[in-house]
Parts: sequence; structure tokens; C-alpha cells
Amino acid sequence: MSNTETDTEANDSLITTDVETGSNERSMTTDATAVAARDLNVFYGDEQAIDGVSMEIPENRVTALIGPSGCGKSTFLRCVNRMNDMIEVCRVEGDVEFGGKNVYDSDVDPVALRRKIGMVFQKPNPFPKSIRDNVAYGLKIQGYDGDVDERVEESLKGAALWDEVKDQLGSSGLELSGGQQQRLCIARAIAPDPEVILMDEPTSALDPVAASKIEDLIDDLAEEYTVIIVTHNMQQAARISDRTAVFLTGGRLVEYDDTTKIFEDPEEQRVEDYITGKFG
Amino acid sequence: MATDNTNAGGFGEVSRVRGIAFEYLSLGASVIGLVALGVLLVYVTIDAFDLANASPEWLLTYFLTLVVPFLAFCLYSASDPEVTRRALSALGGGLVAVAALFTAIETFVAPIPRLSWQLAYLFVVAMPVTAYLTYIGSRGRAGGVGFGLVGRLVGGAAIGLAVGTLFLVFDSLVWFLAYTLGVVPAAALYAYGRRRSVNWAMTAAVPVGLVGLVAAVFLRGVIVTYPSDLIIYVWTLAIPVAIAGGLVVADRGSRLAGAATGGVPLAVAVAGGFLAGGFGVPGPTALIVLVTVGVPTAVYLHRVIDEGDGLVGLALPVLLVGGALVGALVVEAWGVPAPDPWLDASFVTEAPSRTAEDAGLYPAIVGSVIIIALVAVLSFVLGVGTSVFLEEYTPESGILGSLTRLIQVNIANLAAIPSVVYGLLGLGLFANLLGFGLGTAVTASLTLSLLILPITIISAQEAIRSVPDDLRRGSDAMGATRWQTTKNVVLPEAFPGILTGTILALGRAIGETAPLIMIGAATTVFSAPASLFSRFSAMPMQIYAWANFPQAEFRYGVVAAGVITLLIILIGMNGTAILLRNRAERGS
Repeated sequence: MSNTETDTEANDSLITTDVETGSNERSMTTDATAVAARDLNVFYGDEQAIDGVSMEIPENRVTALIGPSGCGKSTFLRCVNRMNDMIEVCRVEGDVEFGGKNVYDSDVDPVALRRKIGMVFQKPNPFPKSIRDNVAYGLKIQGYDGDVDERVEESLKGAALWDEVKDQLGSSGLELSGGQQQRLCIARAIAPDPEVILMDEPTSALDPVAASKIEDLIDDLAEEYTVIIVTHNMQQAARISDRTAVFLTGGRLVEYDDTTKIFEDPEEQRVEDYITGKFG
Repeated sequence: MATDNTNAGGFGEVSRVRGIAFEYLSLGASVIGLVALGVLLVYVTIDAFDLANASPEWLLTYFLTLVVPFLAFCLYSASDPEVTRRALSALGGGLVAVAALFTAIETFVAPIPRLSWQLAYLFVVAMPVTAYLTYIGSRGRAGGVGFGLVGRLVGGAAIGLAVGTLFLVFDSLVWFLAYTLGVVPAAALYAYGRRRSVNWAMTAAVPVGLVGLVAAVFLRGVIVTYPSDLIIYVWTLAIPVAIAGGLVVADRGSRLAGAATGGVPLAVAVAGGFLAGGFGVPGPTALIVLVTVGVPTAVYLHRVIDEGDGLVGLALPVLLVGGALVGALVVEAWGVPAPDPWLDASFVTEAPSRTAEDAGLYPAIVGSVIIIALVAVLSFVLGVGTSVFLEEYTPESGILGSLTRLIQVNIANLAAIPSVVYGLLGLGLFANLLGFGLGTAVTASLTLSLLILPITIISAQEAIRSVPDDLRRGSDAMGATRWQTTKNVVLPEAFPGILTGTILALGRAIGETAPLIMIGAATTVFSAPASLFSRFSAMPMQIYAWANFPQAEFRYGVVAAGVITLLIILIGMNGTAILLRNRAERGS
């Protein structure tokens, strides 16, 4: 499956053929590609973390990346907004296209790129500032000249947090519970209105109730944003994602298809073994 | 062993002898350290206040009026941190503010000659315009990002400088006219325009003010009779400060409280200004100090009373001052012979002398304060800059990474270099090569800044390193540039730690003697330094000189008084910095 995509030239046609095989809740007929990887290789020093991955991630869909630890899913996620640049030993080969432009081209400013791509981390990391300042952070650094308070309210509503914090916008973001902090981080990510939201195991540090709230939220977010989520939780991937990519050891993309297909009838035996818990 | 007798004697025993021995050894070490320091302090205090010669009645009186209420207060407040906090900030803040203001006015304002017109133009026109533009920038229109705090700082400093220059450049009579004809009508117009939202009034305020300023300059020669200095200060300074304080309080709550907040300190200050002449203090200085300290105190008091938290804490300053007064009255009425303390008002306000009775520390105190203020600014700016660069901007691997590590190791080594060597460096570099002069305040400040720079850098680096990487990544992922991440996330989070390191380093700088000897600082000067380039002495230098005097009164009494003064100033300075740090910690 992963190999068939590399030789296509027109993205749309490929997606449409994929879509015909899938049966998903969101209609898949008008998909455009948001992010596309072409023959991507990533090395940490001498060690290869991603090995020749090519995939196309559709717009306004939730795409889940699953696989055992150390298989390169988080690395792939960090390639999209070039957060790998922060790691000095990291070397990237191949293309990652976003909005029709290779983000690794020399004329791309990674800081400007990250302003179009929101990111939510595994451990909630609100800044030690007030709730309002946390959400307004992206607006502040980008020199937003509209009504900041209005945008903060919209974002908190978008992250399903407004009702819980509307009376304490001035208190510190660190006073919230873990699940609220993670939703605050989501509000922070969506405040500057990005096109894509990357989530790196956003619920793994949360209790099940808080996690399910985040899952509901992700479902809503896909109305407006392209969501790419890394998760260790197979049920979560099955519940919330439209497309699922399975990475296995060595950083290889083994199978990438509609979620229902992956979980009901995977092509590869290894994927079935992994999903049913026989290894990994 | 445990498996052998599980059934017989429970689970057996685990030896704790070494742990217990270690615990008591640690206790012993700390007790020895604290007791040694305590004994030293007690001896010095007894010498400084001449308590050894005090009569038992005198000691008993003050024990009852001063020590007992103080201990009772400590016992009462020990359980309530809020009370302790209030007491400390009221006492420390008040002491530090009054002392700092007096010193600042006497050292910086009084001796500086009138500035030239070119400089005045720079301060009065160029700086406010810059400030205004920066302020606009901080609103996000002109400059965009990063001007918030910086803009407010620069703007505030520029306006402050401009107002200060007005005082210096115009004599007070021109300032009086300019204020009456320009500032007051302009402010009144602006306030009227704001309140009634009349736009022309607000627009007209600026030209009216300018016309008033120009008219004042021309009328200066024409008008002959002027009110006295004191009345000018009341009209141009005390009243506006009082109004500002009153407005702040009125904004929070009742108008009555606002009027009281402005009016009471104003009345006290005016009374103080007129009465000050009788005590040998210049009237205008007393007025300025009383009003600039009194109004903020009243605003603070109002807030504490309003909140009701830790109200009792404010009793401590009252207890101490009241206790001392009552003690003095009782001693006076009883006719008990009072001891003659070495540390009294004249000791801190007068110049050194040949006789022990007349010896004073004033020039050395001023010298130390000027030096330490400069050192604080220099070492903070340089130290934070270096540590931010080393921690946030240098790569960790490769040739540059190795170079960084080399620099790090060498900075750590610099912290271990004896201070005499820094003194030599200061002598060669600042005094001779750059020509700042032997034993001048600026040479001393630069030398001492270099001396504590390694400590500041290392502690600031530790503080910056302890900011979780999660926060940096979070900010980076939002599309923040490195500078934005550093400014908005790293520095605010590291600020309390940076401040702690700087405080410790400053404590070392204020007590240094060896480098001052090397750069040729005088052991004794008889007047406070008038500028940064004049000869000065510092407290430790003066104490060191006294310790070598042949007369026993110097070696025992005067030195002890000097040590206590040095300690009090050090504690006041550190206390202020710690309060600032705690505030920053609570803010985050």
C-alpha cells in the first residue's frame, strides 16, 4: 500500500481511488492533500529513524499514526513542522510537502512554517502565565492586531474549556487539572488559526475521563483543521481517526489506509499481529 | 538474616547507627556555625551601642519597652506567614525607601551643576519623543513584537529623566513658572477632555503646555518676586504626588479614603518641610522625601486595610518606633544615666574625624551605595546577557560546542581567582589604560563587577537551565523565534533564580576590600563623592582603616559601629532584593 503511492503524480486521483474502498463517517469525495511526504528518510547521527516513508495526508481529516515505541511516528510528526531542526544530530532527506511547498526547501523559514501548524505535546506544557496569556501567546508573538480577547474566547470555546475557565482567565494555567491543561494547550494551538494540528500522544498522560473529552474534541477539530495524531492506544486510533498509518520497527510505513480497513481487514499479517496485540 | 528469625522476633532489626551518627554530626556542625556567628554579632552589637557601660535600669527599661513587645510580636506572628510578610515589607520597604531617597537626593541631585542646553534638549525633547514612539510600538502598531516590557521600561525611564532634567536645567523659578503656566493648564484641559470626552480639549492640551513652557522662559527675567523654595516645591511636587495617590485610592473605593490618602501625607510633609530647618535638615529635601514616601505608604496602607490580610503585621514598625520613644521618655524622666552608643545619628550623617567621639561613616556609606548600585546594574546586565547567550544560542555539539564548554570551564575557574588579582586587573585596565583614574568610583564599580561576574553568570546559567525544555518546545512549536521564546518564556521563568544569584554575588561585592586597596581607593575621605569620577571611600575600607588606629576607642567602639552599619545596609539591600524575587515567584 505504502509503495503504490510513491509513483503517483496527481495527488487527487490517488486519494479518490483510496476513498472508494473506504467507508467512513465523513464524506471523502472532496479530499485535497494537506501534507505529503515523499521518500522521507530521517537519521539521528548514524541511526535511521524513518526509512523511505511516502504518504499523503488528507485535509480536514484525522489521520492517526500508530506503531510500537521507537518506530519513528513522533519523528515523522516533528518533520512536518520542522521541530526536528532543534535536535542537532538530526538529518532529514526527502520531501515533506505542505501547501504544495517542500518545507525543507532552503527558502522556507521554519518559524513562519510553525505559525501555520499547531502542535500539542504528550505532556501538557502550559506556560507559567495566566490562562488568557497562554491562549493569546501565539497571537502576541505573531503581532495579531485584531481583538485578542474575542479570539481567546473563541479558541477556549473551540477547545471545550470556556465554560470551565471563563471566570478565572487571569489565574495561572498551571492551576488547572491535567486534562484542562491539555485542552488549554489545544486552545493555545488553535488560537492563531493554523491549518494543521499535530498531536503527539495527547492523552497518554491523562486519566480516561479527561482522555475521552480530548477525543471528542479532536473529532470536532477535524471540521476545521487537519489533525495528525500519534497514539499508542489502538482503540483511540480506531475511534477517532479517518485514516491510519501503521509504522513498524525500523521507521518503515507498513500500511496506510482508511481506519476501518486497517482495523478490520489489514493487508499485512504484521499489521494484524500488531493491532491484535500479538507483538509490539 | 531476615529469613532466619521471621517467626521468632518479628522481622529482625536493621542497623541505623551510622544514620543517627550522621544526623547528629550534621546538627553539631550547623549549631557550631550558627553559634559562632551569633557570638560575633552579640559582641559587635555590645561594642557598637556601648551596652557594656549601660546601667541595669537603662537595660531593664529598654528590655521592657523594646525587646518584650518585639518578642511578643514574633511569637504572635510566627504562626501567620501573611502577618510576617506584611511586617517585613512594611519595615524593610519603609527603611530602604527613606534611606535610599535621602542618599539619592543628597548625592545625585544636590552636587550636579546645571546642564547645558544641548543636553537639556536631548532629555526634554528627544527622550520623551523616543519614549512615546516606543510606547506606541508596545501597543503593537509600529514595532510589532517584543516591546511590551522594554517599551514601558524605556518610556518610564525617559520620562523620569526628562522631568528630572527640567529640575536641573531650569532653576526652580523657571520650573515654577513653567509648571504654573504650562503643565497645570495642559493637565487640566486633558483631564476635562477625558472626562467629558471633548476631543478639542485633549488636542489643545499639548500646544497649551508648550506655549506655557516658552512663556515661562521669557517671563523668568520679567517677574521679580517669587514664593520661597519650599512653597514652590509644595505647589509643583507635593500637591501633584498627593493628588495622584488620592486618585489611585479613590479609583479603588471611596472618595473619602482617597482624600485622606492624599491629604494626610501632604499635611505631614508640609509640616515636616517647615519644621525641618529646626533640626538642621534642608526643608525642601525633607518635604520631597516625606511626600514621596508618605503617599505610597498611605496607598499601601489603604490596600492592606481594604484586604484585611495580615493587618497586624503593620504593628511592628509602630511597636519598634513607639518602644524606642517610650524607652527614651522613661529614661529621661527617671534620670537614669544612658550609655553613649558609638552608633548614633551623627555616626551615619557625619564625616570621619580624628577623635573617636566625632567619627562618622557618611562619605563611605554614600561611596558604597553608589558603587553597589552601579555594580548591580552592570553585573546583572552583563551576567544575564552572557548566560542567555551561552545557554540559548550556542550549539551543544561540534567544534563550537567544544569551544562553549571550554568557555564554561574557564568562567567557573574565574570565580575562583583571588580578588586581589581582580584589583590588579582593575588598576591596569580601568585606572591606567582606560584612564578612569586611581581610586574613582567608576573604576571601583567596574572592577567589582568583573569580580562577581563569574558568579552571576554561573548562577544565571543554572536558573536558565532549570527552565523545563517542554516550555521552550511549546513556544518554538507556536512559531516563536528564539528571541521571543527567550524573552517570553525562559527569562520570566528563570528570573527569580537569576535574582537569587545576583543578590548573593552583590553581598560579596559590598564587603570586598582587597580589590579596592589595589585600585587605590582612599581609606578615608571627608566628603561624599560628588561624581562618578571623584575619589571615594567604601565602608569596608573605612572600617579597615579604623581597625589600624592606635586608639582603643576606634578599634573597639567605632569599628563595631561601622560593622553594624555595614550589616544593616547589606541586610536592607538583600531584603529588598528577596522581596522583589518573591514577588516575581508569586507572579509566575
